[in-house]
Amino acid sequence: MSTEFSAETELRSAVERLPANSLKPLRQSALTGFLKTGFPGVKQEDWRYTNLQAAVTLSQRWLSADRGSIKKLPDSAASVLQQLQEQIEADWIVVASGQAFLDGSTISDADISVRLLSTDPQAAEQINTADPLSSFNAALMTDGLVIRIASNSVIKRPVAILLFDDSDTAAALSNARIVIDAGVNSSCQLLEIHRSHGAAEQFSNTVSQVNLQAGSTVALTRIQDREAHHLHTGRVAARIGADASFNITSIDIGGALIRNDVAIDLAEAGADVTMNGLYLASDNQHIDNHTRVDHRVGPSTSSEEYRGLLNGNARCVFNGKAVVHIGADGSDAQQSNHNLLMSDKAEIDTKPELEIYADEVKCSHGATVGQLDPVSLFYLRSRGLDKDQATRILTSAFATKIIEESPVAAAHDYLQQRSKACLERIIAGDSK
Amino acid sequence: MANDTNNIDSFVNRRYEHGFITDIEMDSLPPGLDEDIIRALSARKKEPEFMLEWRLKAYRHWLTLKEPEWAHVHYPKIDYQAISYYAAPKSDADKPKSLDEVDPKLLETYEKLGIPLHERARLAGVAVDAVFDSVSVTTTFKDKLAEAGVIFCPFSEAVAKHPELIKKYLGTVVPQRDNFFAALNSAVFSEGSFVYIPKGVRCPMELSTYFRINAANTGQFERTLIIADEGSYVSYLEGCTAPMRDENQLHAAVVELVALRDAEIKYSTVQNWYPGDENGKGGIYNFVTKRGDCRGANSKISWTQVETGSAITWKYPSCVLRGENSVGEFYSVAVANNMQQADTGTKMIHIGRNTRSTIVSKGISAGKAQNAYRGLVKIMPQAHNARNHTQCDSLLVGKECGAHTFPYMEVKNPSAKIEHEATTSKISADQLFYCRQRGLSEEDAVNMIVNGFCKEVFKELPMEFAVEAQALLNVSLEGAVG
Amino acid sequence: MLKIRNLHASIKGTEILKGLSLEVNAGEVHAIMGPNGSGKSTLAQVIAGHVDYEVTSGSVTYQGKDLLDLAPEMRAREGIFLGFQYPVEIPGVNNTYLLKAALNAKRKHLGLPEVDAYEFMKLIREKMKLMEMDPSFLKRGVNEGFSGGEKKRNEILQMALLEPTLAVLDETDSGLDIDALKVVANGVNTLRSPERGIILVTHYQRLLDYIEPDHVHVLSGGRIIRSGDKSLAHDLEERGYDWLSEAVSA
Repeated sequence: MSTEFSAETELRSAVERLPANSLKPLRQSALTGFLKTGFPGVKQEDWRYTNLQAAVTLSQRWLSADRGSIKKLPDSAASVLQQLQEQIEADWIVVASGQAFLDGSTISDADISVRLLSTDPQAAEQINTADPLSSFNAALMTDGLVIRIASNSVIKRPVAILLFDDSDTAAALSNARIVIDAGVNSSCQLLEIHRSHGAAEQFSNTVSQVNLQAGSTVALTRIQDREAHHLHTGRVAARIGADASFNITSIDIGGALIRNDVAIDLAEAGADVTMNGLYLASDNQHIDNHTRVDHRVGPSTSSEEYRGLLNGNARCVFNGKAVVHIGADGSDAQQSNHNLLMSDKAEIDTKPELEIYADEVKCSHGATVGQLDPVSLFYLRSRGLDKDQATRILTSAFATKIIEESPVAAAHDYLQQRSKACLERIIAGDSK
Repeated sequence: MANDTNNIDSFVNRRYEHGFITDIEMDSLPPGLDEDIIRALSARKKEPEFMLEWRLKAYRHWLTLKEPEWAHVHYPKIDYQAISYYAAPKSDADKPKSLDEVDPKLLETYEKLGIPLHERARLAGVAVDAVFDSVSVTTTFKDKLAEAGVIFCPFSEAVAKHPELIKKYLGTVVPQRDNFFAALNSAVFSEGSFVYIPKGVRCPMELSTYFRINAANTGQFERTLIIADEGSYVSYLEGCTAPMRDENQLHAAVVELVALRDAEIKYSTVQNWYPGDENGKGGIYNFVTKRGDCRGANSKISWTQVETGSAITWKYPSCVLRGENSVGEFYSVAVANNMQQADTGTKMIHIGRNTRSTIVSKGISAGKAQNAYRGLVKIMPQAHNARNHTQCDSLLVGKECGAHTFPYMEVKNPSAKIEHEATTSKISADQLFYCRQRGLSEEDAVNMIVNGFCKEVFKELPMEFAVEAQALLNVSLEGAVG
Repeated sequence: MLKIRNLHASIKGTEILKGLSLEVNAGEVHAIMGPNGSGKSTLAQVIAGHVDYEVTSGSVTYQGKDLLDLAPEMRAREGIFLGFQYPVEIPGVNNTYLLKAALNAKRKHLGLPEVDAYEFMKLIREKMKLMEMDPSFLKRGVNEGFSGGEKKRNEILQMALLEPTLAVLDETDSGLDIDALKVVANGVNTLRSPERGIILVTHYQRLLDYIEPDHVHVLSGGRIIRSGDKSLAHDLEERGYDWLSEAVSA
């Protein structure tokens, strides 16, 4: 059923060669787990629209070539970091080629603890390997990054993590792991910014796990802005405790083949999640967003809105699933997905699912697929705007809502500017 | 006030009222399935060679298939070798020419079902092709239909009398290889209905078939083929009941509809097969493949279904919108109570330009039942200006049931406009109290609210069917709320 | 007609009514007033038999019967009508359908023949004229998409149709503008008769300018702390509730 993986020996020896730190047993058990399943394949319901073959082939070649880990932060990462620092007010830390570089961290707040996973046995114990890609990630992680927010602390300045991969000289594979733990009644804002560089192929497979303890509030804006020929799979898994609230916005601008999974566990009474997303795709981009929220107890609330704009040969997938478990009375799950198709060759596959096993619930979902509203287009043109201008105004209005509602305000200007540039490219593709 | 709390289990479930077994001698083939059985079945039905070949081809393909597992349903493995694939009343040799000649026991059966056949047929102006197990016993109003040029007859008669139509259309909507159950049906189907409406003819009456499953261990494999030639119209009603039995009975029917240019087919179903008892024992497995092909421009196919019976329902009446401006509709009420499992929905495949589809699905879950809507709206690249609107609502009655929605939308054309809305809710304590304060009993209040919930679908049913469906719904939900 | 003796009732373990006694005779209009949270709505709900409220002690008799023994629908058929403070929406269920079903349920209970569709429409049109309601009302779902004022009118329309023996109107005046209030009051006044008892639950004296009560009771802390005639309502209007509560707790 799964995608053919034929580099078992190479994978075993690559895992063997990783630094002999405290994570070794963890890697071994993840490896065993991964080898049982292999990579997911299109026969699996969750992967029916997304074929990982290119990423698998690349991984096999990378493993055979025996590249090992990098020792210092590449120059390309430093220059991207510098640009970003000029545009976004935040404290920064870089994860390059799957390795955290704590030296360059600008985080100084005493309420934030930043360390490597290998030095945090408690975090290492909680490493999530629930799905094949997380197992693959855990088997091959050099080290992970752990960020802990002290209980009862309010962190004002956003913490930004730059996830960077360089394939300038050769094809690259990376498996970054980030663990966030928000203490009781704490509050923080996080940015996860994905960038890449290099003419050669690369496949980055990241996993972020967020634990929200009782009463905590975590805001996370995830900006996936990788180079147009790079492959990426990313998972954000969050467990939300009593009366805790998680607000995540996931923005996809770049990448060739992108698969994002957001898995939310509303584990205790009063847990709440808002998950929004925006995907802007053109050319041959393939962007797949899968979200799943489990209402395990009530009352708990989830609300979700994803928007997508597709041009060229782009293919996007949205699959939102809300599961309300037995006894989770008082659950409220709202979900919507809206898509604008701008080209004959673009395709959207959307599936907003509900699985309900409790009766005191309020659930609704909606999905739409369409074009820019011709009435609005005509209205703007009748006011003297040309078609491109009118299109620009309407598409940016469509995208702006998600950006403005994204939870880390410090990144709004940057996002507006990036999405504007991206829309220019997409619209230009339209008039070609 | 203890007696009026919302205690789900406090009402005694009403027993299935159509549960009884008619004792008629059966002329059956032994259980089991192989090529010899298929040859014997085909021979007994005196079929021409092409039919036998067609069946064998389907059977050989079926052997290569695996039973599907993706639906949101669970049931013990079916032993296909334990099923008898043919049963016919003994009086097969000399078929009755009129109702008077019909085995009185059979007529009695219909009486018990509350379907006074002759009465009903005369009063309602409905022609009835009643299927008793596998062989059609009686057909009425043939003359009137013949006058209009309409062919409405048992499938086997159509194979004998109209082989050219069978050859031309059979398996063109649901191919033999379509899926596991369709392949099985293609190999072993024993009876069914055939309808042909000639060019420009508006069928003078609603065509109706009542199905019954009777003999123990006899799988029922119906095959229905309806062809509406250019500019014609037909409304077809299908309703089912079944006797109470402990063994699970498999039903794998195939229905194929073909609508040519400017033709319209309206297909309505009320399905009330035995759902099993409160503990999930017994009940029909209803694995049906229903598909309509809007082959010509401006054609229309409309499915309306009220599904209250069966232990397991696996059914997706679909429309292939091939012709330009063709229209597909699906209106469904699916009720699952006690241990019932339903996985039902539709597929709307938009191929032609300006094709439109509407989906209204109302799912009601009660008891420990699981009720899933599964739908696909697919817009092919050439389907310019396709439109779909889907409304998919679930109503939960009780704490232990499940309501699930799996809508797939695959859009490959930018001019498409697709809207999907879904809600899940329960009958609120406030609504019940409000109605009771106005003097309605709790059951009446529930029925009223449920019927309100289903209104959009019921209005699509032919009048007399709508009344029946509403009553059926009330019976199905009895005991769900206390 | 209605005798409430030392009634204690609680919701989810919290006691709201703490020894309330009240007697309503045929032909009387009683106004129950009191600050928010005093238990006014609880009293209305308990009379109608809402399942969430538990009667822990005391008695309620209605026309000599133990009311607490009856299911909500039996109370309704025996002639008790509750005008809800927040009438619930029932999507898809036609207003006419509910009204006809309710009327016939009551008639059947009383051994009267059910009214047919024709008679019913004649009856309802007449009542709607009284309530100055648009006929399109009948085609809409029960309270579905109604404004606050429309919902309240709909309650009074139902009351006019069902002709209860005892009507309990819970904050029927809240959310109404002055014109709507007059229409609603007119509807209630039309129903005043020697055979009928009416309980008006209200926070403000305003409604009582249009429906003159025979008795006014002040409810506070789950008990009636003062009873009087309509002049008591005017005192409350001028002085508020505090002086009474203080007098009691002193």
